[in-house]
Amino acid sequence: MQPAEAYGERLRRLQALTDSDLARLGVDDLLDVVLERVRDLLSVDTGAVLLLDPSGAYLVATSALGLEEETRQGVRIPVGRGFAGRVAQERRAVTIPEVDHGNVLNPILREKGIRSLLGVPLCVGDDVIGVLHVGTLAPRAFTDDDAELLQLAADRIALATRARMTVAERAAASALQRSLLPGLLPDVPGLEFAARYVPGGGGDVGGDWYDVFALPSGQLCVVVGDVVGRGLPASVAMGRLRSAVRAYALVSEDPAEILRRLDEQVRHFERDVMATVLCAIVDAAQHTVRISSAGHPPPVLAAPGRAGELVEVPTDLPVGLPRPRSRHSVTVDLPVGGGLVLYTDGLVERRTEPLDEGLGRLTAAVGPGPAEAVCAAVMGRMIGGDHAVDDVALLVVMRTSPAPAGSLRLVEPAVPQSLRVVRHAVRTYLGAVGATAEDVADVVLAVGEAAANVVEHAYGPAGGALEVVLHRDGPRLSITVADTGSWREARGINRGRGTTMIAALVDDVRIDRDTAGTRVVMTRTIGDERGEDR
Amino acid sequence: MTDAGVASRGADPGRLEIALSGEIDLQNAGAVERQLDDLVSNTTESVTIDLTRLTYLDSAGLRVLFGLASRLELLQVHLELRVPRGSVVRRAVEVSGLGEVVAID
Repeated sequence: MQPAEAYGERLRRLQALTDSDLARLGVDDLLDVVLERVRDLLSVDTGAVLLLDPSGAYLVATSALGLEEETRQGVRIPVGRGFAGRVAQERRAVTIPEVDHGNVLNPILREKGIRSLLGVPLCVGDDVIGVLHVGTLAPRAFTDDDAELLQLAADRIALATRARMTVAERAAASALQRSLLPGLLPDVPGLEFAARYVPGGGGDVGGDWYDVFALPSGQLCVVVGDVVGRGLPASVAMGRLRSAVRAYALVSEDPAEILRRLDEQVRHFERDVMATVLCAIVDAAQHTVRISSAGHPPPVLAAPGRAGELVEVPTDLPVGLPRPRSRHSVTVDLPVGGGLVLYTDGLVERRTEPLDEGLGRLTAAVGPGPAEAVCAAVMGRMIGGDHAVDDVALLVVMRTSPAPAGSLRLVEPAVPQSLRVVRHAVRTYLGAVGATAEDVADVVLAVGEAAANVVEHAYGPAGGALEVVLHRDGPRLSITVADTGSWREARGINRGRGTTMIAALVDDVRIDRDTAGTRVVMTRTIGDERGEDR
Repeated sequence: MTDAGVASRGADPGRLEIALSGEIDLQNAGAVERQLDDLVSNTTESVTIDLTRLTYLDSAGLRVLFGLASRLELLQVHLELRVPRGSVVRRAVEVSGLGEVVAID
């Protein structure tokens, strides 16, 4: 074959580097196949592709041929150092006719007995995304033709890799987003939830999130946030912020304190992240919500018989700014039949209209109703048939009308740890059946006392069960706290006060004691019918 | 675990101010009692306990306060409880009769 013919043949084979039969391969498989073709094309012994990691400071061995140790050991080469690092920094072909300790950093290249190297950058537009290099076990003087050919191969690899990485990154970001947004919102008696998440322009997800979770105290934490930025980095940061909020909510139940700690966390660990977050804590009886805002748009309060209105939350600065700032919170009543609408700015911001107009349309769209219906009405009014430009997250929390009748039955082990569980269940139940704050305080204490008596006095060391039943029929609440043990009188000083307290807290109390156990049966009128000063 | 906070404040060591927060029940009353005992020394002249931020107090917790009240009476240390109207635990303090042995603000 004449030289010109040989070159033509090489070019034809080059065309085949990334042809259509490779279209369905992922990044790793694609690189493996292409490296094999490059090896045959240039008659070399080894080949490797190193891709720039997200920090932009290191090249990571991603595919290798004849140098499989590179990828298995996860070789990382700092940009600017060693052979590959020099190729990435100089953005041009580099050749090393004689490999020695001075010009090659990576011991694997030396141990393999590689004598000569040729490397070219992988470029997409002005960005270097990695390095492709080939090597020979016999000394070889790589020519300009070799370098040109390898660069052609590199350009094809770069484009195919970037396209696949973009697709993979989008898929990963979208999968991450889906896995982090709670698909199933918690089941909390007395409250109803509904949520929507719509990725913005082009289906590229961003860093919006919402979260609803119960705290051990029986309080409920509701969060909506927006990490500045788009794509996988924003989604990943969102995931970390979401976890941090959950962790801090276990430490403090003050939303301003939760956001203060989150801000501290972001400033320390997440250099380039900024986010707006709204954190709200619903008290266990569901009467009030305490809200703190880190630069986030205010939630809308829905109340029966009234138009939706923006909650006047003091807007503190977003999290992730250079210096710590003081944070504030506001407590608002959560009326029965009403609720809160939380959202990210993508819902209300339009390039063509002032923000106040968007907020005005939102408050007009919010009214009392089932959470799903409120959610649907808001999305219909705010988004309609448009493609959202920015991500939109929407979370609706509605306090349902109290059930006119309903029961709570709990069976817990008769141990001190159960007392807290019982109190929280009772608080939540009472909130759901429309008890006033005073009713809740009195009934929780009465049940707590009767339950503590069971824990202390009903059983021997083997223990037993503590049963609590609350039943509401109209304004009348009946409460039974039962055990299956044998009663003994209180021992020690300052004991036996519980029974006296119970009598003062409920309308009447009766203690039934027989061989099957003891039942403390109490009744109390609850709700506004009680007609007392609150 | 039931959580309660016991924090002392005020610069004058003779006049002790203690703020309680969280919940006190059978499970943690003993721990709260030990923390209170550690704060009161024999140079203490008066103790003020603020219950404003307490969200639950049952008879086990009240027992701790009754016990403290009788010991401080013996030591001639003045004890005062701060339970403003509207505090969640005010009812518990009222119905327990603690007001008859301790000054309540």
